[in-house]
Amino acid sequence: MYLIAEFREKDTVAAAIRLLRAGGIAPADLDVFSEEPIDLPRGVLERPSRMSLVSVSGAILFGALATAFIWWTQNDYRLVTGGMPVFSFWATGVITFEMTMLGAIVGTFGWFLWESGLLRKRDRNAPVPTVDPGAMCLRVRCRGNDIAGALDALRRAGAGDVQREGEV
Amino acid sequence: MATAPDLLPYDRIRADLFRPLSRVSRRYMLATLIFFLVGAAGLVAWGFQLRRGMGVTGLQRPVFWGVYIVDFVFWIGISHAGTLISAILRLTDAAWRKPVTRAAEAITVFALMIGGMFPIIHLGRAWLFYWLLPYPNSRLLWPNFRSPLLWDLTAIVTYVTGSVIYLYLPLIPDMAQLAEHNTPWRRRLYGALSLGWTGSDREWHALERAMKLMACVILAVAVSVHTVVAWDFAMALAPMWHSTIFGPYFVAGAIFSGIAALIVAMGILRKVLHLESYLTRRHFDRLAKLLLLMSLLWLYFTMAENLTVWYGNEPKEMAVFGARTRGAYAPWFWTTVFLNFVVPFVLLGIRRLRTIAGATIASASVLTGMWIERFIIVVPTLANPRLPSASSFYRPTWVEAAITVATFAAMAMLFMIFAKLFPMIAVWEFQPHPQEDD
Repeated sequence: MYLIAEFREKDTVAAAIRLLRAGGIAPADLDVFSEEPIDLPRGVLERPSRMSLVSVSGAILFGALATAFIWWTQNDYRLVTGGMPVFSFWATGVITFEMTMLGAIVGTFGWFLWESGLLRKRDRNAPVPTVDPGAMCLRVRCRGNDIAGALDALRRAGAGDVQREGEV
Repeated sequence: MATAPDLLPYDRIRADLFRPLSRVSRRYMLATLIFFLVGAAGLVAWGFQLRRGMGVTGLQRPVFWGVYIVDFVFWIGISHAGTLISAILRLTDAAWRKPVTRAAEAITVFALMIGGMFPIIHLGRAWLFYWLLPYPNSRLLWPNFRSPLLWDLTAIVTYVTGSVIYLYLPLIPDMAQLAEHNTPWRRRLYGALSLGWTGSDREWHALERAMKLMACVILAVAVSVHTVVAWDFAMALAPMWHSTIFGPYFVAGAIFSGIAALIVAMGILRKVLHLESYLTRRHFDRLAKLLLLMSLLWLYFTMAENLTVWYGNEPKEMAVFGARTRGAYAPWFWTTVFLNFVVPFVLLGIRRLRTIAGATIASASVLTGMWIERFIIVVPTLANPRLPSASSFYRPTWVEAAITVATFAAMAMLFMIFAKLFPMIAVWEFQPHPQEDD
């Protein structure tokens, strides 16, 4: 089941998350909803990301494929170059660069869709709270014996209204 | 005792920024129709050119690059408004950028769409544009990847892809909000485009990371694209084109015209959409200072480019230099200097004149000046080739003029349609702030 608590201040959300985590709730079971990005203090609710790695990997992959493709096409039908090299990295460097950047762009966008969960809905049955402008909602996924402790933590942190959604 | 200024509340921000999407006035319809008709006239002119051939243009030996290439360079330059300005300000965390970036990113996408059409129009037999794509032709010959034309193709494809994503990413949270309260067809449109955005911290984190990475990548791409456009010229052994500073010269000119386009667009949006509380004098003042800086940089590059040619006194280059500064193209050259340096220097350099109207006028002057500057770069070199007996004079025809004017109308029309479909200021980035007086 889920507990949804509304907060007005960023500090109270951070306090609630700290208390919940101290009570054994995993970060994967916590979600903060808001209409604008919230910068919580470091260490409160870290979301590790591989986006930079994917971006660089996409860049290397596209750049390598483009260079290999150009090398192959230039050798597949050799033009008369008057003694100049059939494949010249310098003369095709611009295309390699652009394709490298395209790989970074495609990698970043693709990983954004994946990491944000917009493509793979992590939990389709999870309730999505309606957030008032300026407010924040903390959604906690609880297992049977966590509920009382989570409720207590949310109230101690200063949550206004706490709603229960879903079945235990 | 001074009192704290009132904050613009969330409800007011949403109402102000979403309001333009729900109302379509008669004036808006009329203006869109006029732009559409002008754009359609350009399509008719293009159709005429396709039917009759390139002979209907003013292009003839030795000037085979004319207004179409000028338009191409100009619009690709304008496209630098979004990526460079938005990306630089985002990476440097400049808080004042927030009301400015959406318009800049939209300008980028539309300018690229328009600019990217010109090589196809210039081809003459436009239906054969797919020959540029990397596939083997009937004799199994692949495209020549050493050709700057292929560089252009890949650079522009990368830039368009990146710019569309860079515009789309920060639109997602706004579209999710719009999907909640709107007419049925808009709900479906925004619902589909927002991909089921819920506003969770995972989504925000991913969005912010993606925007930062995209800003880094798009900066490199934007610089490379205009450098490649410059290399279309500089790689040719033509007088006054074969120059090592052409890359940075073009990039500086592109940023210059991009900022000018952004200021003009902001000036119009502010008035038409009643965004006086959001696009304030402070925003115009900062962009005007950037424009002034770029004006001085443009003058520096122009001086460096022309002075070295004059001092070198190489006959072939002096023929082009003479045509530009004293000959048939001199009025255009000096008009460029006036519009790109004198007007902005006076209107933006003198603090009292650096108002919203002053900045908008200076920007319009720069846009005109930059189009003429592109003409001055492209045409005199071709009209004065290395073989003096082949010299000629180029005068565009009504077909080229109609297509050029149509692209400006198309830009205005696309921008107006965009402003009715999407908020011109990123609502989620806009927290309550003190209301400013102009």
